[in-house]
Amino acid sequence: MTHAPTTPNFRQNVREAMADAPLMEQMTTALTGSMARRAGAAGAVPEFDALRDAGRDLKNHVLEHLDVYLETYEQAVTDAGGHVHWAETAEEARAIILDICRKAGAKTVNKGKSMISEEIGLNDYLEENGVKPVETDLGEYIIQLRKETPSHIIAPAMHVNVPQWREAFRKFHPHLPQDRDLEGLDKLLLEARGELRRKYFEAEVGITGANMLIAETGQSVIVTNEGNGDLSQSLAKVHIVLASLEKIVPTLEDASTVLRLLARSATGQEMSVYTTFSSGPRRAEDPDGPEEYHVVLLDNGRSEMLGSDFQDMLRCIRCGACMNHCPVYRAVGGHAYGWVYPGPMGAVLTPALIGVTQGGNLPNASTFCGRCEEVCPMRIPLPKMMRHWREREFERKLSPKGMRRGMGAWAWAARRPGLYRIGASLAARALRLLGAGSIRRLPLAGRAWTQTRDFPAPQKGGTFLAQWNPDAEGRRKGGAA
Amino acid sequence: MSSRVRILANLRRRLEEGRPAAERAEGVAARLRLAGAQTAPRPAASRLEGAEALARFEEKLRAVDASVSHVPGFSSLPQALAEELRARNLPAAVRMGEDFDLVSLDWSGLEATRGPGRIEEPATLSRAVCGAAETGTVALRSGPANPVTLTFLGETHFIVLRRSEIVPGLEELWARVRRSGAQPRTVNLVTGPSRSADIGGVLQLGAHGPVAVHVFIVDA
Repeated sequence: MTHAPTTPNFRQNVREAMADAPLMEQMTTALTGSMARRAGAAGAVPEFDALRDAGRDLKNHVLEHLDVYLETYEQAVTDAGGHVHWAETAEEARAIILDICRKAGAKTVNKGKSMISEEIGLNDYLEENGVKPVETDLGEYIIQLRKETPSHIIAPAMHVNVPQWREAFRKFHPHLPQDRDLEGLDKLLLEARGELRRKYFEAEVGITGANMLIAETGQSVIVTNEGNGDLSQSLAKVHIVLASLEKIVPTLEDASTVLRLLARSATGQEMSVYTTFSSGPRRAEDPDGPEEYHVVLLDNGRSEMLGSDFQDMLRCIRCGACMNHCPVYRAVGGHAYGWVYPGPMGAVLTPALIGVTQGGNLPNASTFCGRCEEVCPMRIPLPKMMRHWREREFERKLSPKGMRRGMGAWAWAARRPGLYRIGASLAARALRLLGAGSIRRLPLAGRAWTQTRDFPAPQKGGTFLAQWNPDAEGRRKGGAA
Repeated sequence: MSSRVRILANLRRRLEEGRPAAERAEGVAARLRLAGAQTAPRPAASRLEGAEALARFEEKLRAVDASVSHVPGFSSLPQALAEELRARNLPAAVRMGEDFDLVSLDWSGLEATRGPGRIEEPATLSRAVCGAAETGTVALRSGPANPVTLTFLGETHFIVLRRSEIVPGLEELWARVRRSGAQPRTVNLVTGPSRSADIGGVLQLGAHGPVAVHVFIVDA
């Protein structure tokens, strides 16, 4: 399912998410250990930082030569008997896919996990046009049943708790006995396995995403743990790969660099269970595999990012480490971000793809703690790019009036240091009247702050500047007197 | 004007400022000439050879919940496989492809069938190109010798390779895959049995693919 972005309502989304106690509990459960797992896996490889440098350099190289790489890749796909379709927009990609499905006479399409498919709203479109999409990744399967969107790019059903899994299976598997035992987690897994195993043999078309596209060999690569993407692509008559154009890597050796970073950053695994390199349709002598192989290359605003302040974002390999480590993501969950990509990478990518007018709220959802950049395997300067978006939002007068006035007032004062110092020292004195050590309750706009935490009271002995250089401060005062 | 032309024109316009077209073409050609040669740093743990590589391969397989055993030669494989099936309470049957090393063996003690995977496959057998000690990863080529569906439909997936086919890391794995013949429809890197932690955040084996993976190492 894909819905219109609710990113403009980010503040309201956050309030609702944080008032949702079961969601807050589930987020805590789901994210526990995620940072330790990544730290353990990265720490076990002394060369990890050197690999990150290599990953960054290799993606920069690809982006600087992207036109030539795309043509090289296209040629290799064609040589292997596959077809490459270019799509500038989401609408175009959807139409291409529907056309392939219709030509294949498809009633049902099985899908491996693909964030691009969410980005272009593929499922709704196929459904409206009489083709039934079946999500086969476990996480995607449950959220398709619940008519939801993913809340995390690698664990799309992170927000769904176990009782909700049971409830959904009882409701949406009505052909199974209502009184069956679904107590153990293994029962839920077995039921999903049984339901989907049948479906793999029914669909005419299998759609997967791609973690990488290899220019040297014309292969598309998927990295998974479940095996659903492989069953989807190997049992259908037609395999469609849906990928954005920055997924190119030059060679198999370059793919190894990305693989050495990806799983460790994402789940703390050394290697995901299945890394599959696919090219073309089944060979003449093959007993299985698809008869047709199509790659839909999606731009959807990415080429506009080349040469801009946001080019570095195109290095992203979608590991999810930035969101796992983000205090804001961890506090509000993925749905609050209101569109496909949450967390720090979403805060940078969303305004680039749907516009700053719609997505401009997200780059504000950051404490600038910098943890996302610290763990990013591709060394993407996420906080810097969020700042760029904030500047653009401010320039285009999109930020709230109160905030703009406050910023204006502050900027006016900051350009007048003498006045600023007097103001700061007056404010410090006023605050000291409200309490010593910490202030339990602030008046006016400060109330929102002290509703959930104390405000530190200024220490005695004047402002920082006064303490740092008491003589100068004294002279200034003396001079003024 | 097609989307292809428009996308490429837009990219060229943007890239031209940094680097002219001829230079970009040469940059790509130079990089692709490096295919098969080491260009990036690699972990020291991906460079182990001989007995050390073998020990790491087995250790890493066990770490990803696979099991591993040795057979002295291919001719002992049917017997060893039959024993594994018995120990796992599985029927004495296995599905495999037309791999030369496998079809030439005496499978009379088992119901050994050949062909692609069917909807229920209690046990399947694949012949790997090689295995990388670095992460306990095996490489499989799709084709008549190894139908790709056997890798994903078998409830228990048996994989066999020679001891001499255990290589240090991904670099050597690619060298072997490149040497193994024309590019197949899929190259599958498998690292343990299928898994998911989507339900309740608890890792469970056997999501859609195999619940168990067992690797036979042929010593001779």
